[in-house]
Amino acid sequence: MMKKICTILAALAVLAFGVVNTATAETLRVGMECTYAPFNFKSADGELMGYDVDVANGVAGIIGADLEFVCQQWDGMIPALLANKFDLIIASMSITEKRLEKMDFSDTYRISVGRLVGRKDAGWELFDDAGNPIPENFAGLKVGLERATTYADWFENELPEAEVVLYDSNEALYLDLVNGRTDMIMTNPMKAYLRFLSKEDGGGFEFVSPQIDEKKYFGIGVGIGLRKGNDELKARLNAAIKTLTEDGSLERYALQYFPFAIH
Amino acid sequence: MSFDIALILDSIPKMLMGIGLTLQLLFLSAALGLTLAIILLLMRISGRWYLAAPTMAYIYIFRGTPILVQIFIIYYGLPQLDFVRDSIFWPILREPFGCAILALTLNTGAYVSEILRGGVLGVDRGLKEAGAALGLSTTHRFIYITTPIAIRLALPAYSNDVISLMKSTALASTITLLDMTGIARTIVAETYAPYEIFMSLMVIYLILTWMIQRSFGWVERCMSRYVREEV
Repeated sequence: MMKKICTILAALAVLAFGVVNTATAETLRVGMECTYAPFNFKSADGELMGYDVDVANGVAGIIGADLEFVCQQWDGMIPALLANKFDLIIASMSITEKRLEKMDFSDTYRISVGRLVGRKDAGWELFDDAGNPIPENFAGLKVGLERATTYADWFENELPEAEVVLYDSNEALYLDLVNGRTDMIMTNPMKAYLRFLSKEDGGGFEFVSPQIDEKKYFGIGVGIGLRKGNDELKARLNAAIKTLTEDGSLERYALQYFPFAIH
Repeated sequence: MSFDIALILDSIPKMLMGIGLTLQLLFLSAALGLTLAIILLLMRISGRWYLAAPTMAYIYIFRGTPILVQIFIIYYGLPQLDFVRDSIFWPILREPFGCAILALTLNTGAYVSEILRGGVLGVDRGLKEAGAALGLSTTHRFIYITTPIAIRLALPAYSNDVISLMKSTALASTITLLDMTGIARTIVAETYAPYEIFMSLMVIYLILTWMIQRSFGWVERCMSRYVREEV
């Protein structure tokens, strides 16, 4: 009898505490891969970290929510969101038309861009001060690109003067750049930095262009994913991202992993 | 599944823009490969071990490894060595075309030299003995008796190798060359329509094979006039 009363009391206490808790702060469950360094990954001592994690914590701080991270494989990410396994996707997910049919996205917290990598001592003058390419200076230069990427599209339409060489993999781009078969390559600056420029082979090379982010070719960027019909939450997320952008937090997060900003 | 006829009609002319490169790869490496094969053959049947042994090792290596691997070693592997990049061969090896020609030549040379050896071994001993009886020197016997008959004997197998070489040129697309296969792969990557594009590509290759077969058939008929009455 005594035991039963205790159980009931305990249950009531939990209930009451729970109610009080949600009243002070909402808990948002955030889905991410937890394996996608340097955006969301577990450090050697098991701690979740990365650019996405920093953004998530930054946003949560502003809108006053508690976060609960859920590790989810990439191919099941959107189904899990739709099945209410978590409330937000903060996993470096690009905003695409196809995804927008099923779900909603906040404003971008990371851009989709391309950047040229070439030899440090080449001494080209490829871009004017406003960051626009000078087409005639690309004439005769060999540019390595991955087949059927947004970068290939951009070159074909914007700089037909350059001689484009198509590759099947990102690694082959760097190999032939080092071998001197191409003069420069265009790829995702984060990939280029992590896989090439920060390594020994990439020592003699650097970015030879500003970040190129024409939306027509490169898309809108990476945003926070959420279920449709949560317009109030979306508005709060957008306001938080705006604050993080303006107060320099996003740049600060990026500089922990890259020597350049990525928003 | 749907079959997009408009896409096929649109992509065939694009793929045909690569036929020039495919044929250049074929003819150039066939010619160089045949030259190499003749040199290898002469070394192999010279009867001197220090000429024959390296030839056998060469043939073993190039027949015994996939041509795709050979292409990758020549294209991606060699430039890793500094002395290759400083050598006089770098202008050729720098270009993917040069690498593809080199790989195809080295590969087909190994096969063809064995085909030619088969032809030479097939020449009846009696004919050579007859030549010796008439007082022809070893060199003369090789040039005037062995060679014409060996060519005739080796021709069917050789035509086979040319067809197989033609198909191997498609591997050049893996080292950035835009031959017919390279163009097809680019179209597929853009349209996500592998079925239509690769089927059309197959038809183009089949037509090329047919043309090679017919040409060799004609050469064979010309060269076997001396046996036609018997058949």
